[in-house]
Amino acid sequence: MKKIQDAVKAGGFFRRLFITMITVCMFSGCASRHHMAPMETAGSDALGEQVVVAVSTEPSTLDPCQGWGHGNTPLIQSTLIKYNEEMQFENDLAEAYSLDETGRIWTFWLRDDARFTDGEAVTAEDVVFTFETAKAAQASVDLTFLEKAEAVNDTTVTFLLSRPTSVFLNTAASVGIIPAHAYGADYGTNPVGSGPWKLVQWNPQEQLILEANEDYYGAVPSIKKVTIVFMAEDAAFAAVQAGQVDVALTAATLADREIDGYHLARVSSVDNRGFTLPVLPSEGKVTQSGYPIGNNVTCNLEIRQAIAYAIDREFVAAAALDGFATPCYSENDGMPWNNPEVVIDTDVDYAKKLLADAGWADTDGDGIVEKDGTVAAFTVLYPSGDSVRQAVAMAAAEQVEQIGIRITVEGTSWDDLAKRMFSDGVMMGWGAANPYESYCLYQSGGAFQDDFYNPEGYQSEKTDNYLSAAMESLTTEDAYGNWRLAQWDGETGTCMKGMCPWVWIVNVDHLYYVRDGLDIGRQQLHPHGASMPLLQNLNEWQWNLQ
Amino acid sequence: MKNAAGRAALLFLKNCIRILSLLLAVSIISFALVSASPVDPVQQYIMKIGPVSAEQRAAIEAYWGMDKPPAVRYISWLNALLHGDFGISLLYRRPVIDIIAERFGNSLALMLCAWVFSGIIGFSLGCVMGMHRGKWQDKIIRRICYLLSSVPAFWLGLILLLLFSVKLGWFPVGFSTPIGMLDSEVGIWQRLYHLALPALTLTLVSFSSIALHTRQKMIDVMNSAYVLFARARGEGGWTLFVRHGLRNTILPALTLQFASFAELFGGSVLAENVFSYPGLGSAVSAAGLGSDVPLLLGITLFSTLFVCAGNMAANLLYGIVDPQMH
Repeated sequence: MKKIQDAVKAGGFFRRLFITMITVCMFSGCASRHHMAPMETAGSDALGEQVVVAVSTEPSTLDPCQGWGHGNTPLIQSTLIKYNEEMQFENDLAEAYSLDETGRIWTFWLRDDARFTDGEAVTAEDVVFTFETAKAAQASVDLTFLEKAEAVNDTTVTFLLSRPTSVFLNTAASVGIIPAHAYGADYGTNPVGSGPWKLVQWNPQEQLILEANEDYYGAVPSIKKVTIVFMAEDAAFAAVQAGQVDVALTAATLADREIDGYHLARVSSVDNRGFTLPVLPSEGKVTQSGYPIGNNVTCNLEIRQAIAYAIDREFVAAAALDGFATPCYSENDGMPWNNPEVVIDTDVDYAKKLLADAGWADTDGDGIVEKDGTVAAFTVLYPSGDSVRQAVAMAAAEQVEQIGIRITVEGTSWDDLAKRMFSDGVMMGWGAANPYESYCLYQSGGAFQDDFYNPEGYQSEKTDNYLSAAMESLTTEDAYGNWRLAQWDGETGTCMKGMCPWVWIVNVDHLYYVRDGLDIGRQQLHPHGASMPLLQNLNEWQWNLQ
Repeated sequence: MKNAAGRAALLFLKNCIRILSLLLAVSIISFALVSASPVDPVQQYIMKIGPVSAEQRAAIEAYWGMDKPPAVRYISWLNALLHGDFGISLLYRRPVIDIIAERFGNSLALMLCAWVFSGIIGFSLGCVMGMHRGKWQDKIIRRICYLLSSVPAFWLGLILLLLFSVKLGWFPVGFSTPIGMLDSEVGIWQRLYHLALPALTLTLVSFSSIALHTRQKMIDVMNSAYVLFARARGEGGWTLFVRHGLRNTILPALTLQFASFAELFGGSVLAENVFSYPGLGSAVSAAGLGSDVPLLLGITLFSTLFVCAGNMAANLLYGIVDPQMH
């Protein structure tokens, strides 16, 4: 436990110094109190109508065709459909949609009262323009399966796909519709949309100011002005101390401090962390890019499963993240396409039995098991500087040592990690509001690519069939059913009970300091990344001031 | 007369060639370093935007020119550079030159403030120490200088931030304008107000070197034969300082001050990060951490030019301050 806490702290000597100084400041009773009034920022409108949010990651563009809003709500634009808090699809610009029996033609009927903030109506032409532009831009929205988009009339659009693609709905929920008449090279910094918010001003690396769109076809936000400032977590912590922001993203190491006038909001996520463990033995093979493949310890299923069962995930969450994390059992815990069967219970005896049954035993009395001269010891890499991954890996390694498997936790650069991840374990993390991620993680064609999805080299014909079936399903329910079968079909799958290419450990909670009286609504299950998901439901935020 | 003009032109030409060759060398070295560094811009890009297909990935790689060897990429980059195209920033998706122009104003204001104040304060304190060598003034100021020159800029910045922004609430916690205020409403005083803490940080960490150098030079002057002679004539105090001390120490101080542009720029990177101040310094660290190669290279070249210009200004000023230098 001590070792782990040291590890967390070693990751940020200056952060520790900073925290110490801030704490001293608080104990001497000098945390600024004259700044506690919610609205002391400039240009103050009526009390309770504006909010200042500090996040760490700045968007690079506000153009949906260049990646803005991908996986999150685009705020300024609106989408054909959207997710609700339960991650179910709801209509947004679309009033209805349907799929033909071939699974290749989607038809969307649009509402007729939606207008861009420049007064022009949102028409089918704009939708076609958006999808064609996004496809041509090849920036972030994956539309390689889209053959053609066509406007049947002003309010009807059809999409012809090259093959049935169930994740098309997820894509439709993430692409903000742009105006064909007002799209140019500067759209990314000067966007016009039909969403609940209007961009007022954007000072890069500083702030982004949004104003409520009073002509929005949905519920007009009760907050009228939102200023999103971009600062590192330490700076944001100082800003909260000084009372200069209303909401601030924070880290687990900072979150246990009470700040007058603020409370801590803790949001669950699928922002997961776990080990990828090479499933093939080391036989001198190399990847396309020439990096060695395979590991003679982790290639044994019983080793991977013993690790999975030996880890007490609650302990890891407490030791590494001060309890600001939940146990993780798959890449998408809690999502509608998750299979609840993937959950396992910590069982050290079962883990030991797995090893013993397979012939692993500690013959030389050093506490580590061996089999046929192979010692059950291997390395897990993490990107140095990421203190969360380091702490999670070390806490888990400590747990695993008690069943006789030694994991050496080693920090390295992303570059070095990218070369060694095919033959060593890696402390990795994913988490998306899109089941397509599971396809990327587990389909055989993705194995040994340089893209970090499947470095462990998991390949299974059965899984491929489920994944393809999920992609080609004609209904969302069928697709979800197949995604679940890929995880666990009662016999095998990608989960830890199955082939166990990953040992999932924790989902990291996203933490925010929120000024008392501000209601940030019901937050969806957050994907990887804590900045933009927070703003997903910005139009539901409100002040409850007495 | 004609001869003098010709000589000046030649000097100018020489300087230009020197700067150009330096820029070329810096561009090659920094490009090579970036190419050899662990960062993969495409990977960074993809990790930011989520799952993409193999076709998509290949398309993104082709767009960034990753399928070509580094030498080819360098030549095409240099060619674009010569046509005034610094490329598009990966992080901000805008032309690099626009970002530099935007940020340079902020950084220049910050560095200029710090430069002027550290120059004036450093030189004055250096003179005081030199004139009172070994006395209490010298001892106290020298210790302060030692202390400040051994303090890291960002640590000092954090202390100032905690004291003046968090504890006392006198200054904003960062940025160059008030949070939530429209650009059109921001006045010069608000900008200066936001500039104050970072400029103070930068001043405090940079004045000690000039003060200590000036002190040493002043001591040399005071030990010289001509000062002994002046003292023998009955000169002392202020007259001695103005006639001999000031005149003989100002030139080395100026050289040092103009040569400090490089350190000033380095210090501003740290100060800007602590105070979330949107200048070139915070842009260059964002570019470095975010693997934004075009922006990183653009700022590197630009700062080289900036430092060169500082050194050239020192050369030109010599002629004005000391006519003998002709």
